[in-house]
Amino acid sequence: MSTPEVKFAQQFELYGCYQCGKCTGGCPVSLKSKLNVRRLIFEGILEKGLDRTNEREELWDCTTCKTCTLRCPRGIKPMDLIIGMRSALVEDGHIPKTLIDALESVHKHGNPWGKPKDKRIEWTSGLPRNLKVKDFSQGDRAEFLFFVGCTPSFDPRTQEIAQSLVFNLMQAGIDFGILGNEEQCCGNEIRRMGESGLFEELVEANMKCFEAHQIKQILTSCPHGFNVFKNEYPQEKLTVLHSTQLLAQCLEGGKLSFRQEINKVVTYHDPCFLGKQNGIFDEPRTLIQAIPGLTLKELDRSRERSLCCEGGGGRMWVESSSNTSQRLSEIRVRDAVELGVEILVTACPLCVLTLEDAVKTTGHEKTLQVMDVNELVSIALGRSKTGSQ
Amino acid sequence: MNIIVCIKRVPETAEVDLLIDKTGKDVVKSGLVFDLNEWDSYAIEEALLLKEKHGGRVTVLSMGGEESNESLRKCLAMGAEDAIRLSDPAFDGSDGYVTARILAEAIRKLPYDLILTGTQAEDDGYGQVGVAIAEILGIPHASLVNKVEIVDRKMKVHRELEAGLEEILELDLPAALTIQTGINEPRYVSIMGIRKVSKKEITALGASDLALKTEEVGLLGSDIRTEKIFLPAVGKGAELLEGNPEEIASKLFDILKDKGGLA
Repeated sequence: MSTPEVKFAQQFELYGCYQCGKCTGGCPVSLKSKLNVRRLIFEGILEKGLDRTNEREELWDCTTCKTCTLRCPRGIKPMDLIIGMRSALVEDGHIPKTLIDALESVHKHGNPWGKPKDKRIEWTSGLPRNLKVKDFSQGDRAEFLFFVGCTPSFDPRTQEIAQSLVFNLMQAGIDFGILGNEEQCCGNEIRRMGESGLFEELVEANMKCFEAHQIKQILTSCPHGFNVFKNEYPQEKLTVLHSTQLLAQCLEGGKLSFRQEINKVVTYHDPCFLGKQNGIFDEPRTLIQAIPGLTLKELDRSRERSLCCEGGGGRMWVESSSNTSQRLSEIRVRDAVELGVEILVTACPLCVLTLEDAVKTTGHEKTLQVMDVNELVSIALGRSKTGSQ
Repeated sequence: MNIIVCIKRVPETAEVDLLIDKTGKDVVKSGLVFDLNEWDSYAIEEALLLKEKHGGRVTVLSMGGEESNESLRKCLAMGAEDAIRLSDPAFDGSDGYVTARILAEAIRKLPYDLILTGTQAEDDGYGQVGVAIAEILGIPHASLVNKVEIVDRKMKVHRELEAGLEEILELDLPAALTIQTGINEPRYVSIMGIRKVSKKEITALGASDLALKTEEVGLLGSDIRTEKIFLPAVGKGAELLEGNPEEIASKLFDILKDKGGLA
């Protein structure tokens, strides 16, 4: 009774499944991948078939968008099964090289992008020179920690999101600080890649760091960090907010006012980790709709039905077996172009990267722009594009 | 089949701004991240693949201080059976030959059919230790190996030569090979895997255990001594492109176009 298949079936309570197929029906990658969630569960129940985990490269196609789990009428958690199967692969050690590089980089440098720890705050060099951001690691104290996250810290495109948020927070008079070079990976993607041991180490180290600096409230611009801090870190010790929640509060409380007109037609792409997984649909829209001159149009697949951009669950570091000629982000971009909008707004650095790539690969660079809601808000607040005030 | 793999823990320097220390003979190591030498990760993986195919035991050896246990444990987590650390203050400053001598004395005490090392180390890059071990032990060797097949007591190995050439050699066992990167795909070592071997004992041997006199090893016993280490002066002719990635790409495109680099 200790074979891995029996273990999977019991551990993930697969016996409750009645094979309705809502999981596969809702799975965004099912149209381009061999990954078939319903069938995976069926094979798990039959106690065979799940033994050749090593041959199932399609397990890396899952974006952990969680649609399968959210739609299951029986309360089964297929996404957790996939993560569990990935864990078996990770322990075995035979996983794609690009994932190994990302995981080893997190272990060694605290980020999956292969960058040295002491270059984490380089994004702040893009801020106006006279602007001083508080830094908990330098002894400063503040009401909120702005947890920047690995991607906005190191990726040149999404560094602009972090810089915009700093501007927005200052405009709203929020007392916040960053962790400087002491910040390290939040672990959201690491856990979803199946590296549970590394995830445990990150949680432990991050909690120690938060406690040492008396941090109780965390603010993120990245929904992936927001999700993990809110749902998978010790619950009672932290209050976690996504930047759109805090800024929408500030707007309603009169602490922010949008002076700059933006005469554009835009649409909003709900990031999976913010929208369907955490129910934050209205705050980003509240911010967007309050901008003078701007028109918001809704995509057909919006809110709970938003189409995943394929940036989650470790997919930033692995192409795997999926058909790359049919990227979901390209479908998303085509939908936005068809809707006739000029800006595709989202609220996630990973979505920004996948969607912006898709704008380029589909040849829509001249007609469609991709922006994070923080960037849009900063323009409405009067920040000029060059980053100076 | 008994396979011995010699490994080294080295600092990672690719993305770092390196500084020279006060002695002028080494880089400042504080703040650097250390890991198993990249070439050695291919050597240990190859040893494990051969063991999985032909049976036997894999023993990892490393010369270094207690911090080397970290890399030895990584190899244990990958699937090696035993780990031995060769550690003695007298070993400090050993050149490539003396390092090979120390490792060879330890290997003499063990049963072995095959010895694997990485082709070179990421830090000093001598590329000497593997072949010197073979010479000291009086066994055949091959360097820059990118394929290994074992049939009976013979071995066919492919060597990666310049200009895309590949050479096939036949060697009798026991033998020593220095392994080239790309020969395999080293497996990932999970944190759970490391935890499972965290209590496993790592034998430590010093100069006296290996019947080596202190004047034979370390700086005293070495013929090669580091005189100076420095960062080359910035030369002329290089143009650093500045701007955001898009601007840099556009400037680079113009340069390539102007100089006839694009057809």
